[in-house]
Amino acid sequence: MSSSRSRVMTLARHEYRAAVRSRALISLVAILAIVTFVSIYIAAIAYRSALADYQAYVAAAQAGGVQLVAPSPLRLLSLLRGAIEYIEIVGAIIAITLGYLTVSRERANRTLPLLRSRPVTTGELATGSALGALGIISTLVLVTGIVALLCLGLIGNSWATPYEVFKVGLVGVASVLYMFVFYSLGALITARTRVAANGLLISLGIWLLIVLILPQIGDTLDADNQIPGGLFSALAVDKAQETQILTHFGTYEFIRTGIEELSFAKHYERFAFAMSDVQDKYQGFTLAQLAREKWHDIVWMFAYAIALGYGLWRGFRRQPALPQGEKS
Amino acid sequence: MTGAIAAQLVLSLRRQRTFLALLVTLLVMTALAGVIGWISHRTIIKVYDEAVTLLATTGTPAPPNPFDTKPTLALLSNMVIYIPLIGALMALVLGHLSMADDQSSGIGRLIFSRQVTRRSYVTGKMLGATTVLAIIMAASLLVSAVSLLIVNGALLSAPDLTRLVVFYLLSLLYLMAFALVGMVSVLLTRRRSMALLLALGVWLVLTFALPQFTSGLRPTASLNPITDPVSTSQTFFDVTAKARPISVSEQYKEASTRVLEIGTPESALATSWRVAPIGGLVLILAALTALLVRRHDYSRSSVNE
Repeated sequence: MSSSRSRVMTLARHEYRAAVRSRALISLVAILAIVTFVSIYIAAIAYRSALADYQAYVAAAQAGGVQLVAPSPLRLLSLLRGAIEYIEIVGAIIAITLGYLTVSRERANRTLPLLRSRPVTTGELATGSALGALGIISTLVLVTGIVALLCLGLIGNSWATPYEVFKVGLVGVASVLYMFVFYSLGALITARTRVAANGLLISLGIWLLIVLILPQIGDTLDADNQIPGGLFSALAVDKAQETQILTHFGTYEFIRTGIEELSFAKHYERFAFAMSDVQDKYQGFTLAQLAREKWHDIVWMFAYAIALGYGLWRGFRRQPALPQGEKS
Repeated sequence: MTGAIAAQLVLSLRRQRTFLALLVTLLVMTALAGVIGWISHRTIIKVYDEAVTLLATTGTPAPPNPFDTKPTLALLSNMVIYIPLIGALMALVLGHLSMADDQSSGIGRLIFSRQVTRRSYVTGKMLGATTVLAIIMAASLLVSAVSLLIVNGALLSAPDLTRLVVFYLLSLLYLMAFALVGMVSVLLTRRRSMALLLALGVWLVLTFALPQFTSGLRPTASLNPITDPVSTSQTFFDVTAKARPISVSEQYKEASTRVLEIGTPESALATSWRVAPIGGLVLILAALTALLVRRHDYSRSSVNE
């Protein structure tokens, strides 16, 4: 191992260990773990009951000599919807906290000047911290994924096929990328503010805008979301007629979609929901078809990750070794 | 002395421009709620007209316009979402700053070197925070009334105005709970950032986790004022639904929709019962804040991070 790589790995291990020891982070992770488990538990109980009903129907149909049995309408991976939504909301806060702690810890402990006094370049420092954060984010997502799959099998009485496990893996990769963007945001803004707590406050303001406000505006402006059960169902209009009606609202839909497009969280959600069969329209799609449908969201996610990763690297380079005008 | 402490808090927030930032954010949010309500309502009417034309060509009778029976105040339905999301977060920050600044700047030590009792200090802080929130709510009420006047082209009727006032009083009570959460978290932790994260954790649990535990509401379902009914027939909910009365964000939303007449009607007494847990939470948090302030060591060195 080259000396540079060794230094980066040492810094990454330091970041990982320090994050694991943080009480703030552990508390947030505990909240995520509990709410994720409960959301899957609730969904899996309902699924088990629906699965039993379907199996009883199949048995009755076969006993009655029916040749053509309707395929199961159940979608196992859709049970992960609650878990995905929690990663979208709580996972983003955990990532921001991680980023904030990366900077504030070194400042509060006054270890940054010590680190800078060693033969460590700014690039190595930024890469080491980012790798450490990626390590902890990956661990978190991996554990969530394993618990989710076990819940589906043990509570829902239906084990995921290798293909479904692979799709959950892709959702996991997107989740790591999603959280890394928020980690970079938290670290970058904290590095640029004199009082680190203000950096956390500003990052949370941006989180509020990206994760909650922009998608909320987009959702609320959706005509179909105005009536419980859907406006078009209330008007007794079928899918073809709905499409025909919406052609008269091209500009409105363009603006509404545009607002949603601004939200990174929405791109993650669309990709993750498509991979986990949450939306009916993607049921039965192959991976290639899903990739073709979702390439736009994939590109946006990578663009955000690259832009913020680069910003983080620049932010670390400019960060003063000694805290300025800050009380400790 | 209580008045002086409250006035000092308001002045400090004004000088730091925090007051202005909170006021502008909440007013933009109120105006946004009105604009979104107006745009979506106008679009739905057009969608309905298009649907009627289309159904007429196929000979299908058009169903009645689902918006014909919408009440006047329905335009503000988004406020029911923005108060627990944005307003509560702002109130957390207000509560956090009102306590944390005294610790990190050393003002706390200075104050208690004078003839100030802990009781008058904590009462002054609560009074100051309530004053700030009350001013913001009053300004929001004004913006809401103007939005309704512009859209409906008529002044609000007395019953509607009363409903609007009651809604903002209820919102003030709800926001006070979160301002107190912000204060308590500062008094419970030594580090400023930990205090902020603790308060945020409480907000996450109350806003997203509890409604899912007690009513099966998915997290993103909390972002839309119109939610599809969720099946809660499972045994799990037989147990957890008992905790629904203490799910304050749900109770706030339910009570608000009744006050604004956008939810299923119920008696005034039933709505009052929904407000009771919020009031209870405020009282408990106020008592806890008073207790923690009494025991707090303001002479210890502060940690800003």
